[in-house]
Amino acid sequence: MNTPEDVIQRLDAVDYLADDGLAMAVYLALRLGKPLLLEGEPGVGKTAAAKALAQALDTPFIRLQCYEGLTAGEALYEWNYQRQLLHIRLAEARGLSVDDGDLFTTSFLQERPILRAVRHDGPTPPVLLIDEIDRADDEFEALLFEFLGEAAVTIPELGTFAATRPPVVILTSNRSRDLHDALRRRCLYHWIEFPTPAQAAAIVRRAVPGATAPLIRSATEFIGTVRGLDLDKAPGLAETIDWVSALAALGVTELASTDVIRTLGTIAKTPDDRALIADTPVTTPRARRDQP
Amino acid sequence: MLLRGIDRAAFAVAFAARLRRAGMAAGITETGDLVSALEASPPTSRTALYWTARVSLVRKHDDLAVFDRIFATVFDDTPPLPLSRKAIPPKPRDDSVNVAVPGTGDETTVSGLPWATLPPAVAADEDADDDGLNLPELRPSTLAALADRPFEDLDAAQTEALGEALRQALTHWPRRRGRRHRPDRTGRRVALRPTIARARRTGWEAITVVRERPVPRPRRVVMLCDVSESMRAQAAAYLQLMRAFTTVADAEVFAFATGLTRLTVPLRHTSPREAIDQASEAVDDRFGGTRIAANIATLLDSHHGNTVRGGVVIISSDGWDTDPPERMSAAMARLSRRAYRVLWLNPRAGAAGFAPKVGGMAAALPFCDLLLPAATFTDLTTAARCLADLT
Repeated sequence: MNTPEDVIQRLDAVDYLADDGLAMAVYLALRLGKPLLLEGEPGVGKTAAAKALAQALDTPFIRLQCYEGLTAGEALYEWNYQRQLLHIRLAEARGLSVDDGDLFTTSFLQERPILRAVRHDGPTPPVLLIDEIDRADDEFEALLFEFLGEAAVTIPELGTFAATRPPVVILTSNRSRDLHDALRRRCLYHWIEFPTPAQAAAIVRRAVPGATAPLIRSATEFIGTVRGLDLDKAPGLAETIDWVSALAALGVTELASTDVIRTLGTIAKTPDDRALIADTPVTTPRARRDQP
Repeated sequence: MLLRGIDRAAFAVAFAARLRRAGMAAGITETGDLVSALEASPPTSRTALYWTARVSLVRKHDDLAVFDRIFATVFDDTPPLPLSRKAIPPKPRDDSVNVAVPGTGDETTVSGLPWATLPPAVAADEDADDDGLNLPELRPSTLAALADRPFEDLDAAQTEALGEALRQALTHWPRRRGRRHRPDRTGRRVALRPTIARARRTGWEAITVVRERPVPRPRRVVMLCDVSESMRAQAAAYLQLMRAFTTVADAEVFAFATGLTRLTVPLRHTSPREAIDQASEAVDDRFGGTRIAANIATLLDSHHGNTVRGGVVIISSDGWDTDPPERMSAAMARLSRRAYRVLWLNPRAGAAGFAPKVGGMAAALPFCDLLLPAATFTDLTTAARCLADLT
């Protein structure tokens, strides 16, 4: 990927439509070898961007889902204690002596996502997605600094593993917690805006090839109207894609109010929202033509 | 090709300096990134330059408005649009404060001695009222008497002193079971790593088994404070309570009247007076009408809505709401489903013969776990104690 335009084309080839901003962010992250922090509303395509990037670069995709209490043992590496104990017993039975050098070798090391990304041995560096970093706690953020800054992981018993080709790191956040400035400093940042109805229609067309053009247009316009309502959970792009897939699966070619009611579960996720969305009138292309 | 033949470093440094002056945190790392980014992708258009600069310099969503404004000022020929209140960034910290050093100024060297002398200690008492920096020392008993007085009868200095006392009294905090473990003799789970490390001393025979147990974590407290006209007398004291929360532990605090304002960041300031001033400045709809239900819904819909999950929510209001009671019921139901406990502090609840008859209050009550009076600082301290017992 040599220019931002190239990034757009390569992502387009794997059915991910990136805008200028995201393309520039991805391009700079690749060129400068820095992690990229993506923020945006839920369902705007943050995780999908990382997946598409791995597909476009044709490299392995490694994912680390964050949660509270995530430790080095689950994110970086862990020793295989059971094997170590067995090794000790075996040496004992054979009358051999055991020292540190025998027990703490890479054969007893269990790689977790981050170490796997660092030690990846292939022609191209892998894409590592650290998903929903805001769900992890401060302690985990601090644990990431060495990796994000130097693309290295230090294991006290073994030494430092540095990546020969630094992995492409994408972090996503839903802003449920303020991330530490030290983490933000180490990453490039991009805020993904919610796509305009025209962009959304283009994205849905790619994601659901079976849907007809009028259906996609009226569905994305309907979602645009619905997002303006006072909803508990406004439907994002992911919901729109689910919905259009559902409509296409039902063989709907032009949107009608009854279709909305039938497939409400894909866009309304709370009882209050069900009622509000069900009451929203559908504007079909025909209805629009009838208007003066 | 834009910016042909210019010194990239000089450009990046100057642009970052401009952003910093506007209140954005663009440091050396960000500037260095911009230089590398300009090299990696020489801008061919204004849009390309915009994205290059934005991706490498901006690290926070909040900074986007400032960045866009400064970028437009620098690269547009048109003058910038009139600014809304929200777009104005906080003032940058001014480090060039002139401190008068006693004995060096011309007017203080009355004796003409070639050395500096400390100012007489008596003088401090006399000008204490002028600069307003020194609080009169209050004896604990005086403070205790003041704490029982209603908020209306307290002046600013007393409120501040009581706020400080409240902050120091907040030693207990509601806790929950965390997901991290720590070695502990009473724990149930075997901690393998320290056990193996210990076994090394005994010829790799695991003689001492190290156990671990979950570390309790402070539960998050989210406080929503009513700063409308009907709560004018209480607002100052509640700001002190919110400041105590933000400085002591994990808390998110918001003020509301017609709109919702997040005060967590301004109130975290180390100087109490500065914190309260910044917070008061941030709230621009003070002493207006109240829309409790709408504001609770706004909080739940925003990206701060997830902070409520599993936390203790404190709402301090008298319950006068301009929204209809049904809306209040709906909002409170959503809130109580998401939060661990909901507490309501009502300044009138302590009065004799109080009954929650106001529409909003009556609608909210079924969803509150506790309704506490909050008319004096003693009440607030009691409320803070109740909080600790919630675990």
